[in-house]
Amino acid sequence: MSNGTSKTSKISRRSALLGMGAGAGALAAAGVLPGTMGFAQAQSSAPIKIGFQKHATGIGAAYGRWYGATTDAAVKRINDAGGINGRPVEVVVEDDGTDPGRGAEVLEKFANQHNCDVAFGTLFSHVVIGSAPRAGELKLPYFVVSEGHHVASGMLNRYTLQPGITDVKSQVISMAPFVANNLGKKVTMIYPDFAFGHDHRDFFSEAIAAQGGEVVAKIAIPPTETSFTRYFPSIPRETEVIYHVMVGPAVLTFVKELGEFFGPNRPELFGFIDSLEAVDIKSSGLEFLEGTYFWEGMPRYAQADQADYEKDYRAAVGVDENGASIADSKDVATYAHMFGCWETLNIIKAGMESADYQGPQDRAKLIEAVEAMTDMPAGADHPQGAKRFNGKTHQTFGSQYISKVTDGKLVVEHTASIEDGLYEDEVDYTAQSF
Amino acid sequence: MAHPAEQAFVLLLPTDVYATAGTLAVILSIVLVTCVRPQLLRGFFSARDLGRWPVLPTAAVSISALASLVYGLLVYVGFYGPSDPQNNLLPLTVWTAWWIAAFVVQGLVLDIWRLINPWEGLHRLVFEDAAGPLRLPEWLQAWPAVCIFLAFQGFVLADIAPNDPRRLASFALGYWVFTFAGMTLFGRAAWLAQVECFTVLFRLIGSLRPVDLQGRFKLGFVGWQSLLDAPLDLSRAVFCLIILASGSFDGLHETFWWLGRIGVNPLEFPGRSAVIAQSLLGLYASNAALIGIFALSVWIGIKTLAAVSSETHTPFATAFCTFAIAILPIALGYHIAHYLVTLMIQGQYVLSTLSDPLARGWNLFGLGDLRITTGFLNTQASVKVIWLTQAGAVVVSHVISVLMTHHLAGRFCNKNKDLISIQIGLSVLMIAYTIFGLWLLASPRGA
Repeated sequence: MSNGTSKTSKISRRSALLGMGAGAGALAAAGVLPGTMGFAQAQSSAPIKIGFQKHATGIGAAYGRWYGATTDAAVKRINDAGGINGRPVEVVVEDDGTDPGRGAEVLEKFANQHNCDVAFGTLFSHVVIGSAPRAGELKLPYFVVSEGHHVASGMLNRYTLQPGITDVKSQVISMAPFVANNLGKKVTMIYPDFAFGHDHRDFFSEAIAAQGGEVVAKIAIPPTETSFTRYFPSIPRETEVIYHVMVGPAVLTFVKELGEFFGPNRPELFGFIDSLEAVDIKSSGLEFLEGTYFWEGMPRYAQADQADYEKDYRAAVGVDENGASIADSKDVATYAHMFGCWETLNIIKAGMESADYQGPQDRAKLIEAVEAMTDMPAGADHPQGAKRFNGKTHQTFGSQYISKVTDGKLVVEHTASIEDGLYEDEVDYTAQSF
Repeated sequence: MAHPAEQAFVLLLPTDVYATAGTLAVILSIVLVTCVRPQLLRGFFSARDLGRWPVLPTAAVSISALASLVYGLLVYVGFYGPSDPQNNLLPLTVWTAWWIAAFVVQGLVLDIWRLINPWEGLHRLVFEDAAGPLRLPEWLQAWPAVCIFLAFQGFVLADIAPNDPRRLASFALGYWVFTFAGMTLFGRAAWLAQVECFTVLFRLIGSLRPVDLQGRFKLGFVGWQSLLDAPLDLSRAVFCLIILASGSFDGLHETFWWLGRIGVNPLEFPGRSAVIAQSLLGLYASNAALIGIFALSVWIGIKTLAAVSSETHTPFATAFCTFAIAILPIALGYHIAHYLVTLMIQGQYVLSTLSDPLARGWNLFGLGDLRITTGFLNTQASVKVIWLTQAGAVVVSHVISVLMTHHLAGRFCNKNKDLISIQIGLSVLMIAYTIFGLWLLASPRGA
């Protein structure tokens, strides 16, 4: 959905303003027109344009709306603090329809029509994978917020980076120590039978084995399935933990039927909040989840020890202490993922300032500046926690949260360290030429 | 637009129980209506004259001329306004205010198309009543409009980015010029009646309105005016069917079932660009299928009537063109059911964008601070209300269609046995379509 939850986006209004006749005045004031103050001055005060490839429609719309709200809030904060290199930041929003084909078109519009300096914001993996080659051809830095492993796996290119959110491989393997040491070593995995589920299966099987545990059963559910009871008898009796990553419209049905199958005598349950992102944990049918565990990219509920910078971030993006919109307590945010937009924008700012970025001719310098980044401390720029960027793989690493459903809220039980999520490099993008 | 939470709650609702109840309601209406003589229904479908109503042709022309100006401004905003479709008044007006909302207003409340169509008023002001130099042959009927409407539906369902403001502005400008030129060359009335598909569409849908304000204030049951139009010519009869078929496929093409047919993983929908051919093929096949099934249903009725009664001979073409108008309520009911949730979300974007229609940082009406929410899709209780409203629209529209069909059957025969016979195929179709419509609402969606 469009410009986030709030429509009072002065940012994109400004871009419109420039296009609508007021542009001539604005450009004259900035000194671009002949006979005015000259180009150098204009260049230094012209806005930095960031193309936001947004899932405004299509299957990613629920995420797109909150990515928009977070982007607006982050850019407002950057502009309030003086912009980037003294220049204001302007976000140009284009709807990619959560469609890889359209995603590539949108990148082209950013580069050729809107004259954007960089592109940013994509979540869904297939859109990233469909768009990244075009970013490479256009030589347009493309900062994705997708958590897919495709960046670090080496399948993309030097122009595509993921500095603001960790990838699924890191998330999954960092869960294994906690699961093995606290919940149990014999794990049954239940996952949807396609790439998303297969990633979880492969990454976790390897990681739990390294912790001395084992996956005793792998139950792949066809993506079109909407009833699950017949799969549950395949869960071995010896199972100590069920690891589930169901997604899609049938996820509440899955939880309800799992509850009906086990009753009070269930094994431990561990899941990924992706299953219930933007869904109220207190929804009817989810009572069975009380006492179970979830990975969270960022804790949805404000924790007792919430840092001030996180409190400020929560207020800026318009989310209350239960992870819902401050305007409607039923409107639950995609809180576990959207911080990635905030952090990525701050990294773009830091990269541009470090590279003394002046315009598109400095795009390669910008990428090199970001590649040179390593540790980023937790704070107002990185409210989710500290990050460690790997310039070779273009992928960031960070803390992961494991929360327990307690009285219908997610309470953080364990924070996995950056080190828990590290793995061997699979690519060195810095070896590729621009 | 996919909203996983809403879908998840729908799957937890006892939709099979609701669907059974809805289908039984339609079956019951068929049974009851056979006990009612057509004369009684005739009274039911005749309007009450509640007195004079002022006709203000000048006002209508002025408002329509103003609509041309607004249309021009919207096209301008489309070209030069924000690139974000949910922040740009052109796509919001076209797809939400007009295609979703004005369609329903036209069918239930007032002849809004007469006021907002962006050609008629301006054309009257410029050319008065001058006929064009060329003539559209009568045998063409409204077939050009049928073809253009099918192309429009293809754009709605299969285009990669129908929301893109600049893309939409190009289409809107092109279609405006095409229509205005056509009206000028071939005459305003003929072009609007035969080629301009939205005028044909809105006249058909508008005939469902309970209120008629052309000089007198007349009030009747939904559809009473439509019955006066029957039999339609063949092109308009087919138009009634393609409104419903296209709307139905719009719902169907998002379902797990359809995605399974075209080999797409519904949890990993690859985007509209990956299924353009499939969507177009499905759309046009659905249209052909519904026309075929409807024709078969009418034919079965005629053959059954001929078998039980030797008194009458009913020409197939006349029956087809007569009964087709009874499809309109279902088309409107599907439209309401299909777009209700989209309207609830996009309507908020329309309101907040209206605060700043030219994207100049204004905050008219104080609506610019509106925070868009989809929280109503996040609780079991609100999703249940929404679902039952959608299902209600589907069931009620079928019941109205049953009543209209029965009324129309009275034009071909009188005896109760004959009336049941001629409607037998259509009754089965009504029941099957109710089941289909409620199944659509309850089906998991992935696109």
